[in-house]
Amino acid sequence: MLGKRYILTMFTLVVAAAIITLGLKEAQAVPSFARQTGMNCMSCHTVWPELTPFGRTFKLTGYTLSKSGKKYQFPPPIAGLFQASFTHTNRRQPDATAPFNSSANDNVNLPQQASVFYAGKIYDKFGTFMQFTFDGVSNAFFVDNTDFRVANTGKLAGKHLVYGISFNNNPTVQDVWNSTPAWGFPYASSSVAPGPAAATVIDGGLGSQVGGAGLYAYWNNLVYAEVNFYRTAANSYPQFLSAGTHVDSVVDGVAPYWRLYLQHQKGKHTFMLGHYGLVSNIFPGGQTRGSSDHFTDIAFDAQYQYITHKHKFSIEATWIHEIQDWSASFALGDTGARYNNLDTARFNINYFYWSKYGTIGGTVAYFNTFGGRDRVLYAPDPVGGSRNGLPNSSGVILQAEYLPPIWERRTKIVVQYTIYNQFNGASSNYDGFGRSAGDNNTLYVLIWQMF
Amino acid sequence: MPKWINWFIITIFLGYALAVSPVAAFAQGQQIFNDRCAMCHGQDGKGNGPAAASFSPAPADFTSPGFWQGNVGQKITNTIENGHGPMPAISLSSNHIKAVIAYITKSFKP
Repeated sequence: MLGKRYILTMFTLVVAAAIITLGLKEAQAVPSFARQTGMNCMSCHTVWPELTPFGRTFKLTGYTLSKSGKKYQFPPPIAGLFQASFTHTNRRQPDATAPFNSSANDNVNLPQQASVFYAGKIYDKFGTFMQFTFDGVSNAFFVDNTDFRVANTGKLAGKHLVYGISFNNNPTVQDVWNSTPAWGFPYASSSVAPGPAAATVIDGGLGSQVGGAGLYAYWNNLVYAEVNFYRTAANSYPQFLSAGTHVDSVVDGVAPYWRLYLQHQKGKHTFMLGHYGLVSNIFPGGQTRGSSDHFTDIAFDAQYQYITHKHKFSIEATWIHEIQDWSASFALGDTGARYNNLDTARFNINYFYWSKYGTIGGTVAYFNTFGGRDRVLYAPDPVGGSRNGLPNSSGVILQAEYLPPIWERRTKIVVQYTIYNQFNGASSNYDGFGRSAGDNNTLYVLIWQMF
Repeated sequence: MPKWINWFIITIFLGYALAVSPVAAFAQGQQIFNDRCAMCHGQDGKGNGPAAASFSPAPADFTSPGFWQGNVGQKITNTIENGHGPMPAISLSSNHIKAVIAYITKSFKP
């Protein structure tokens, strides 16, 4: 029975890819950044979305590098994305807990996601990466990752300086490294498989929930510094950045974000060592007034890249430590402890080989989230709960990728397998309803097309 | 043999000869340079293209005598194939790389 499902799934994915590819011929298959710069995808990406040194410069200078040198971009920099996927978990979920309109197992999401980008130069030194997404699982449109920039270059103490302003809707979406959460591995994962209950605020908790503006400077190819101030997108001027998304993490006042890193580049090698952080006050339960909970996120990250035409090797690592003060939620009885900690560590190794038959490679990744016990916040519940009140989840992701040598390698086929050692606090009967961490091991097959 | 077949063979031969001639390679190199290189290196090869100010170190100046020291053909080929510093690898066939080198050499070498 399962075999028939697999065949049906693969057939559907292949047909979808064929339809998209045929459609591309008429759309000229030109992503907007590539059209603007005249460069192909591998100039800015090792394997997209991981950035190369050139890609990082392109982003830091406001997405405005252009071969034409004109102050505007015509035709407008429009691009698209389409994802179709298949998800199989080791053990089906109870019907009552299967998310959205998905079935309890072996889900085909067609599309999982479809996006339109306005991405490139708007005018002179003003550019943007703006993503509008249709989520095929929740069946909704929303404003996804968005980053507006104004950037310039100059000299400071006789050395090269890039400086600018960023206005964006997700802390770390403006970052140029793939060790930070917004653009970190895995770049795509199942929307319907069970996921760990706990995550730090900076680890995607404020995506499309806030809008923030800030300043950044990058000096002498060595030091980068940035400060950004976010406020809720539930109302006021950042509201358009949350269009289509229900703002349930309402930030009280202003949440400062900061970023520092040191970079060194020598020939084909690039090293980065960095720090980033966020302090946020968030109203409990989507409220918009009253007292709020206080979170301090302090993170460190590192990345190494070795890039040649044929070989693309990189290592990315990050560690996020969150200090939690649940003063508002604790008073409401929504948490069992006022103070707590939550940590997330991630480490991944990537290698890709470029040949005329396509680009092939993959990633081995380790992840671990752990923190203090809270039997109210992490209560027993089928699939998503915790029997022992611990948020601990850890495991390994094995991922293989292939980019066929057609359409400038804008098609990506991904096979991803996630193996959990621990899920929401335990390996066996973690939810108090007899489910084991290994039951959530997930096979995820994705076709990802850029156009 | 009918005359038109002779003319056909001559035309094919001349077309092929023109296509692989240094003139054709130069024109092809110029087109590739303008499409893929001039954004940073500038249309006049001085390393002053529209994007040049964004990079440190600055893009190479092909009009500088210093650039032409050593095995330049090998240096350009290696840089195009593998990238160097902020310059990314550029996906070009070996014939296209030769065409670009021919164009750069003839147009910018002092």
